[in-house]
This record gives sequence, structure tokens and C-alpha cells, in this order.
Amino acid sequence: MDLGAASTGAGEYAELLEFDMDMDGFASNWAYCDRVSTYFARMISHNRSDSLLYSNLFSSALNELLETVYRLHAPSGRFVCSVARKAASERIVLTVPVDARTAEFYRGAVRVLNEGDVASRYHNALFTDGPLQPNIGLLELAVDYAARFSIEPADGNAIRLIADLKLEESDA
Amino acid sequence: MIADTLVQTYKVSFDDNNQEFALSGSLRPERGAEMEACIRLLETSIASIRGTFYINVKRLVRLNNVAFHALAGALLKAADERPDVKISIITSSVIGWSTKKFGTLTAKNPRIVVEEYDSEFYPGQSFLEEGGFVPVLRTQTKLTWKHERSILPRHGLTPGVTMADICCGIGDFAVLVAKEFAPSRIVALDHSKSSLAYARQVASEFDIGGIEYIYGDAAEMLLEDGQFDFVSCRHALQIFNKPEMIVSELVRICKPGGRVYVSNEKISQCLGEPRGPSIQWTYEQLSKLFADFDMDLEFGPKSYQALQKAGLEDIRIESFMVTNRDGDAQAFADMVMAWEEMFAGGMCEKRGDDAAFVEKFRRGFEDHIAAALHPGGYAGWPVWVASGRKPL
Ligand SMILES: C[S@@+](CC[C@H](N)C(=O)[O-])C[C@H]1O[C@@H](n2cnc3c(N)ncnc32)[C@H](O)[C@@H]1O
Repeated sequence: MDLGAASTGAGEYAELLEFDMDMDGFASNWAYCDRVSTYFARMISHNRSDSLLYSNLFSSALNELLETVYRLHAPSGRFVCSVARKAASERIVLTVPVDARTAEFYRGAVRVLNEGDVASRYHNALFTDGPLQPNIGLLELAVDYAARFSIEPADGNAIRLIADLKLEESDA
Repeated sequence: MIADTLVQTYKVSFDDNNQEFALSGSLRPERGAEMEACIRLLETSIASIRGTFYINVKRLVRLNNVAFHALAGALLKAADERPDVKISIITSSVIGWSTKKFGTLTAKNPRIVVEEYDSEFYPGQSFLEEGGFVPVLRTQTKLTWKHERSILPRHGLTPGVTMADICCGIGDFAVLVAKEFAPSRIVALDHSKSSLAYARQVASEFDIGGIEYIYGDAAEMLLEDGQFDFVSCRHALQIFNKPEMIVSELVRICKPGGRVYVSNEKISQCLGEPRGPSIQWTYEQLSKLFADFDMDLEFGPKSYQALQKAGLEDIRIESFMVTNRDGDAQAFADMVMAWEEMFAGGMCEKRGDDAAFVEKFRRGFEDHIAAALHPGGYAGWPVWVASGRKPL
């Protein structure tokens, strides 16, 4: 695992932190989702006005994304997760190696997220018996964290999934 | 660091006395099946109760959708099967996501309700949290600091320590400590968002970096065990009706060998001359007024025993008297004026006092102000500070 601060490629967002890892390494241990999201949350939250609350929310949001990637990706390739900041917004960029099936999943999921009515989709998904829908984490981010998603192709057989979120309410 | 140990794991328990099922820590399983033991305990717990079933998630810091889905399924099923039972989920606003997330269950079944727990053990909260309190706290801290800056080193505050100021209010104390003692880390926690906003603004205006202001509940802090050399809690134990809950949290976050420092008043002992008797009467009444709202403003001298009962050792206690002769008589008078407004105004009205009482009550404050500004007068406000060391 390679963890380091970088500073390129995010437009007007300034990159805070990036990690990359072989996909099969990442996908070998479920606990990585929790550890990586918690580590990121701690590293980027200290200069938010309430570090503890921010880190809690950020960890919850990023963890759902990482769990999604853990379940849906091509078996090999590089997995990159980076976080960039612009004022109150955070941009999470996940570069995920994909095959035809998983590429279609991500494209379809983002299309659904941008169609609207995500709240009822999310709540239906939460309360349906049986296995959880694989897009549940993305739906949650869109509904509970007002995340905006986009997707673009990346080098090699990969996609870049971009989530912009704003976790800090202004102080009362 | 913050809440790091909680990340590793979760705890689940059922207390049949209180019909309370409690989940805490971090719950991020890969598969729903991993929730089986937890769900089974939930089901047997609900089966054993009558009336209201409580689910305490105040310290459940993390929960993924896999776990939520399993819990939600079990709760909705239980609510269907037991129409005689109400399910009450107790969340904490400090966690951020939980009230909203669990709130989705109410839409599915209105017998599942979510209550955001807000320190019911602190009945005076509304008085003290309102904005009007800010100038009082500022003046009080300015006056007590003259004394405390030389007292603090005797209670273990030395440069470079890591410290936490719990119930920090508007954060002046943290700023003063940062300037004078240069601790390596300061966390300042309070349960008032408006006070914290004010504190952050003050710190940025004075260009004091590095104070971490955290919204939290002193009785259920999400700060990890044993991480601070010095834990202070000033003028706050006296406003809780269960101060021992707070003390045990202060001790928990203190490092073994570190010290917990508290300051409190014994308000009935405020004094002044001339017009001593009128002043004395008013402060005795003030103490009773607070008692009627379940706050113990006589706590100062009780702090020795409170620290002792919490298992601290090498307990030190001393008192000092803030007076009009400390160099700023006007500030003293301003503070008493603000007290008069808060207490003879807001609080008496809330208690339903009659006009005659309020008038006499106000007179004592006015006599105290006059004593402070009188060329030959003397006016005082005593404060007790106590500290104890956490055993190694
Ligand atoms: C009397 S003020 C003292 C403030 C400060 N320590 C000082 O000396 O100026 C009490 C403070 O306790 C805070 N408080 C009340 N309930 C609390 C809770 N449950 N957790 C944390 N802080 C709380 C209030 O918001 C208020 O700022």
C-alpha cells in the first residue's frame, strides 16, 4: 500500500491525500475498507471546524464507497483513491479497474443517481428483504450526504468514479 | 487520537432492568450473516420485555448499510409481531449520521420512534446555552484567570502537556492556557454549538491555532481513554445533577499519572461591604434558585470528595476570592450586573417568583455592585479549585 500526499490533477480542487494499491491486494481483506476510510477521515478532518464530527461523517461516506468497490471491480489492476478539497467541499475520486460487467454497473448506477427520486430508491433498498442491492452505498451518499456523482473512463480498463460532497453544515 | 479504539470493534448488551439494548463502537460487517448473534440477542431481548423497548445507540460511532439492513429488518419484524410494544431508539446528536438514519424506521412503522438524547441530566441547559451568557463567561474568565494562572502549575499544568478542557464554554480559558502554557495539544469540548462557534471565532481573531473545538456531550465523550495529561472542567460540575457521571468521563480520558482539575463555586458565600446582610441574603436565595433547577452552586467544597470517590489520588484543593480589589472593579461590577439579568430576570420568571421577591432579590445584586464600585467597598466571589492524579 502506498499512502502519500499528492497535488495534481484535480482541477480547482487541491488534492489532500491519495492511496493506491493492487486491486487484488485491496480486495483480499474486508477490513481495509474500514481502515482506509478511518485513516483518510482522520487525516483530512483535523482542520475542519469540528474534527470529530467531520471525521465520523467522512469515514461513513468513504467506507460505503470502498465497500462498493470491494465488491465490484475487475480482478486485477491498480485501485486509486484520492481526496481533494475546495473550500467546504470534498471530492473523492476512485479509479477502479473494471471489466464489461462492472463497468456497466458503475455507469448504470451513476445514471440512476442523476435521474432523481433517489430518496425513495434508497429507502426501498434499505428495507427490502434479502441481499442488499450493490448500489446501496452510492444511493446513501446521494441521499444522506447530498453527494453528486460523475463517472469517466480512465487509462487501461478502468473508470474514475467522482463523488463531491459537503459535510459541514454552517455553525448555528 | 480520537475514537481510534472504537474503530476496531463493537459491543452489544441487554440490560433487562431498563429494557435497554445497547450497541456501541463500530459495526461494519461484510455480510448480514455476521450480525446473527447480535440479531438473536435483539430478538430474545424484545421477547422478554413489556411496554417500551429502548435501543441505545448513543455511542455507536460507525454502522454500514449491511449492518443497518440487518438491524432494520429485525426491528421492523419485531414491531409487526409485537403491536403492544413501543421501540424507542436513543441516538446522540454528536455522532452526526445516526438520528437521520434510524429516523427512516419511523416512516415504516410509527411505533419505532427515535429520540435524540440531549443531556436530560442537565436541566439548566436552556438558561446557560442561550447567547446572553457569553458576556458573563467572558468576564468571569478574565477575573478568575488573574488567580488561576499562578494556581494551575500547582495542579500539574506545565508547558508541553496534552490537555482537554471539557465544558469549555466560549473557549477563553483554552486560549489563555494556550498563550501562557503552550500545551502540545488542546482539545476543547462543549455541548453548545453557539458557544463553540464563538470560541472558534475568538481563536481565529487572536490567531491562536491548534485548539481543537469539539461538539460533544461531557457525559458520553467520544474521546479515547487515557490520552490527556491534564483534563480541566471549570464551573460545570455544579450545573449537572449527576456530576459523578462527568467526573468519571474526565478520569477516563486522563492518562494514568495525569491530573483532573475542576473549579466550582459556593455561591452563597459571595460577600461585600457595605450592605453585607442584603448581599448575603440575595446569594443565599440564588443558591436556592439554582437548587430548584437541580443545579448545585454550592459544589465547590464538595469537589474534594467527588474526586476522591472517582478514585483519584494526591488530591489538592484550594480556594481563591475574586474581588473588586484585584485591579478591575468595573469588570467585577459588570459580572454581577450580568448575573442580576440572568438570574433575577430569566430564572425567577421561569420559577414564577412574585414582584416583591424579585425586587428584594435584585437589591442584593445592586448592593454588591455598589460595594464593588464604592471607594472604600469590598466585594468578593469565592471559587474552589481541586485536582487529583489518576493512578498509574
Ligand atoms: C457555566 S458554563 C462554564 C463554561 C466554561 N468552563 C467557563 O468557565 O467559562 C457551563 C458549560 O457547560 C456546557 N455544557 C452543558 N452541558 C454539557 C454537556 N452535556 N456536555 C458538554 N458541555 C456541556 C454549557 O454549554 C456551558 O458552556
